[in-house]
Amino acid sequence: MYITLDGVSRQYGDIWAVDRVNMGIGQSEFVSLLGPSGSGKTTLLRIIAGLEKPTTGRVLIDGVDVTDLPPHRRGVAMVFQEFLLFPHRTVYENLAFPLRMLKLPKAEIEERVAWVVGILSLAGLEKRYPNQLSGGQQQRVALGRGLVGRPKALLLDEPLANLDRELRQEMEVEIRRHQIALGIPFIYVTHNQEEALSMSDRIAVVRRGRIEDFAPRTQIYDTPRTAFIAQFVGRSNRFEGTLDGAGMLASDCGARLAVPAAGLAAGSRAMLFVKNEKLRLDPAGATPAGANSLACTVKDVILRGAYADYILAFGNRELNASRPRSERAFLAGEAVTASFDAADMDLFDADGERPS
Amino acid sequence: MKGRWSGPLLLGVPTAFLLALFVLPLVSMVVLSFWRTENYHIVQDWNLGNYLTLATEGAYVTFLVRSLVMASLVSVICVVIAWPVSYAIILYGGRYRLLFTLAFAVPFLTGEVLRVIALQGLLGPLGLINGVLMALGAAPLRFIMYTNVASAIGLVYLYLPIVVTVIYLSLLNFDARLIDAAKIFGASPARAFFEITWPLNLFGTLIGFALCFIPCLSATLAPRFLGGPNGTLYGMAMAQQFGESGTWALGAAMGVVLFLTSILAVLAVCLKVDLRRTGFTGFGRG
Repeated sequence: MYITLDGVSRQYGDIWAVDRVNMGIGQSEFVSLLGPSGSGKTTLLRIIAGLEKPTTGRVLIDGVDVTDLPPHRRGVAMVFQEFLLFPHRTVYENLAFPLRMLKLPKAEIEERVAWVVGILSLAGLEKRYPNQLSGGQQQRVALGRGLVGRPKALLLDEPLANLDRELRQEMEVEIRRHQIALGIPFIYVTHNQEEALSMSDRIAVVRRGRIEDFAPRTQIYDTPRTAFIAQFVGRSNRFEGTLDGAGMLASDCGARLAVPAAGLAAGSRAMLFVKNEKLRLDPAGATPAGANSLACTVKDVILRGAYADYILAFGNRELNASRPRSERAFLAGEAVTASFDAADMDLFDADGERPS
Repeated sequence: MKGRWSGPLLLGVPTAFLLALFVLPLVSMVVLSFWRTENYHIVQDWNLGNYLTLATEGAYVTFLVRSLVMASLVSVICVVIAWPVSYAIILYGGRYRLLFTLAFAVPFLTGEVLRVIALQGLLGPLGLINGVLMALGAAPLRFIMYTNVASAIGLVYLYLPIVVTVIYLSLLNFDARLIDAAKIFGASPARAFFEITWPLNLFGTLIGFALCFIPCLSATLAPRFLGGPNGTLYGMAMAQQFGESGTWALGAAMGVVLFLTSILAVLAVCLKVDLRRTGFTGFGRG
């Protein structure tokens, strides 16, 4: 593996911010570290960068053990959430900074800066100072400063968090394109699952300093390995209850749901998740599309454009369904049947693990 | 409240204050410097005699040069000491940062005269340092007994807290994560300091320098109590014109010279330093 984390841990006081992390990242892989704030994902990134030292464990980049190397000898680059452009330097000088540190000849510096100015469409801004740029332009300069030195890896710490939604989606496409073109690993820290899903080859879900799962993005989304991932990635409805002997889950909210035959004992507690878009809706009285059906009332309809979010009342609780606009629309107050198949659900035992 | 008059009012009050208490006295001093004093009387007789005296009489030229050298040296020493001190407070002060900076202000609570006298007690022939040395049978340190060195020590002691406070405030507003960024992009810690930390705090450092340099130029107490026979500084000589000798017009001329020197020093710095290169963002979006 091009970048290897071997039992990396970092302790602050008596808290393990990063706890026994093992990861291998390929030469041209886009990897996201996805987790809630405080999960330790940024600390992990800073350990790879060399800005933090791991309490135990080793970091290898391109076969070299860099655990004891300071950041300026690691040959990696970083893009920060707050951009952190040098305010007293022009765009050109900011972009030239990594090259000057590499002591490249002036002609090559000019050539390489011209190259990033080109690929990031920064032409005309070279003489400006960072405070004369818009947020999106600053982000491009920060990205350009990360790419210009042809680093061994680019580390990105929530680089799009300070941009508005439209710009963010544009940048997602662009960042991914540059990663493919350059063929170097990008390690992307985010708490935003959409960003992680849209760009990554693989996603590492981080929770309390540990890697909960590290898998291809479709696998993280479609077959979450733990209840935490099911909860955190995508939006879903959660049912908790007790299993009976006949393969049925009696949920605490009053539903009886047929669950796939699984290695869970009768009488044990379990939880299952159904993604919002897997919950199908039919008018009350019609034959439901899925095997498990729940009689609900539409409480609210939130129009999202291509699809609509329905907030449904089921007994005392709410369910969420997300349906394409091409389907039949329902109005608030209408009685509907929500249904789903056993294949649409993710079942976990009381500890949040997938039963084996 | 952003009424029609709030702007003129908010700017007008300090303007009036400056006019009444700064510009008017300054103008009257300039006028006085072109008159003459005779037997403790002001004679309203326009002439350039005072300036001629200051420019030709060796003693006054010496005082001015000595003051300039002294003020420059003291300011440089203050900056050199203040930088690591402020930096240490920022780095290691933790939650006691504010307390550390306030501790520097403690000597201010006593008043300048008292502080200088206290220092005299420390550095003088029978002072703590030399007293101990002699009690131990060693020779006293002559260079701290009523010399320019003693004056300089006194001035550093008097103005160091101001310089530390100013540089500390500058560092406090400095985003230290920029150093991380510089290191990531290949700068060694020393390189990061000279590329990022120093230029971005240069403006604050210059303000600290000026706030030390200008009062040092006109210092009277430290040289009077700590300096020796060769320790007369310009400000001290000026105070004498207004006191013992009663030659107010000459004193006024010296005041004008000091004022112009200070302005020239500030101008020279302003011309040399491009504010933009110190991260100054007060120009808005251009």
